[in-house]
Amino acid sequence: MLGLMPPKLFPGVARIVTTFVRLNVDGVLPMHALGTLARLAAGFALGAVVGVTLGLVMGRSRWAEDVLLPLVSVGSPIPGLAYAPLFVIWFGLGNLPAVLLVGFAAAFPVAVNTWTGVRAVKAIWIRSAVAMGARERQIFRKVVLPGALPAVMTGLRLGLARAWRVLVAVEMLTAVPLGLGWLIFGAREFLATDVMLAGIAVIGLVGLGLEKLVFEPLERLTVVRWGMLAR
Amino acid sequence: MIRPRARRIVGAVVAFGLTALAWEAFARSGSLPPAITPPLEAIAAALAGMIRDGTLFVHVGYTLARIGSGLALAALVGVPLGMLMGRVRSIERFVLPLVSVLSPIPSLAWVPLFILWFGLGNTASVALVFYAALFPLILNTWTGVCAVNRLWIRAAESMGAGSGAIFRHVVLPGALPFVIAGLRQAFARGWIAVVGGEMIAATRWGLGWVIFDSKEFLNTDVMLGSLAVIGLLGLGVERLVFAALERRTVERWGLVRGTSA
Repeated sequence: MLGLMPPKLFPGVARIVTTFVRLNVDGVLPMHALGTLARLAAGFALGAVVGVTLGLVMGRSRWAEDVLLPLVSVGSPIPGLAYAPLFVIWFGLGNLPAVLLVGFAAAFPVAVNTWTGVRAVKAIWIRSAVAMGARERQIFRKVVLPGALPAVMTGLRLGLARAWRVLVAVEMLTAVPLGLGWLIFGAREFLATDVMLAGIAVIGLVGLGLEKLVFEPLERLTVVRWGMLAR
Repeated sequence: MIRPRARRIVGAVVAFGLTALAWEAFARSGSLPPAITPPLEAIAAALAGMIRDGTLFVHVGYTLARIGSGLALAALVGVPLGMLMGRVRSIERFVLPLVSVLSPIPSLAWVPLFILWFGLGNTASVALVFYAALFPLILNTWTGVCAVNRLWIRAAESMGAGSGAIFRHVVLPGALPFVIAGLRQAFARGWIAVVGGEMIAATRWGLGWVIFDSKEFLNTDVMLGSLAVIGLLGLGVERLVFAALERRTVERWGLVRGTSA
């Protein structure tokens, strides 16, 4: 505004809003957002299935816990993005490495939280179920699973947040055809800072929306309704 | 909860042994070229080479310096801001909406823009760590100040403490567990940001940069070696620095129960 900074680098708010609206009307932003969301869904589903399975196995079997826990606790603090160049070499460019990396990054918090949840199921619940003649399968389905669910939900939440963060960055590196990360990265080449900021705004909105529209209703429908969690 | 140490060690040895064996079998089976799946000895040799010529230490030093300065800046801004938010209503009302809009944006989304604003090199990486670390610090400090037991404050007041004394002797120690939790989260986020930022924005040094640069030459052994270093460093800082910090402050003051028991 004052001419202190080149407007090419620091576009005014009016300009960002105009670009934002224009890109929405053109359908460019929704298209990129859809591409990113599809990749997120695929990657996160993969990570959730793997993570919950790992967590359940770790929680139920001492042997699996002893072997898997060290691997998970060493793997977990490595930023998922650090694997990105490796995944590119292994799986090529495009969608495959992006989806796999997102799944890989999301699986860790899901596994750790599921494991914690299974272990936090009160022993007395299990014993009373046993006393009432429940079999292994029934105990698992009716006691362990609902008991662990609040922690599993936390894990899924953390996993999704991680997946979202990794995905945006990995899209910059793996040259996917459509995606918000790619949009921002590509716009840099043309010094289109208004497009970049509009893309960042969409990323923030989608991130917020995932939390508010996906997880809060899901939590209300399951754990809050079953009385496992006060809300 | 407490499991015998021996059992844990055996578990870890079996786990890493099995993984190493599986990797080794896969790498030597020849189903993929060894340039893509290097055997363990190649990875170890690459690491040893980096240690011998000292480059590894320069990379580690740069990465740690970047995350250190970013975290320090974020703590200098975030902690006082969070404290003010917890104590002053109008500041809370002004800052909170900003924080809740900005905080879900992944820090790495800003990389391309930060490159344009700050150029390639250190400034962009430090700014990225600052951005990533700032919000967990603000939010946790704010929560911590809000969560200080009202009774404590009232008790201090009735004993005639001024607002300065209340702040120093009641609010500050009461909020500290949250501040430390915030620092922990900030480090975890900053660690991701610094590695990602270095891949895209660094020019010569840094662990993220070395991974990205090795990709160009298909040096998968260097990449995997650096990955291991990143993992060990992250785990080490988390276990040594933060656990020690917690022991020295909040656990000693009896504010939280020790987790290391």
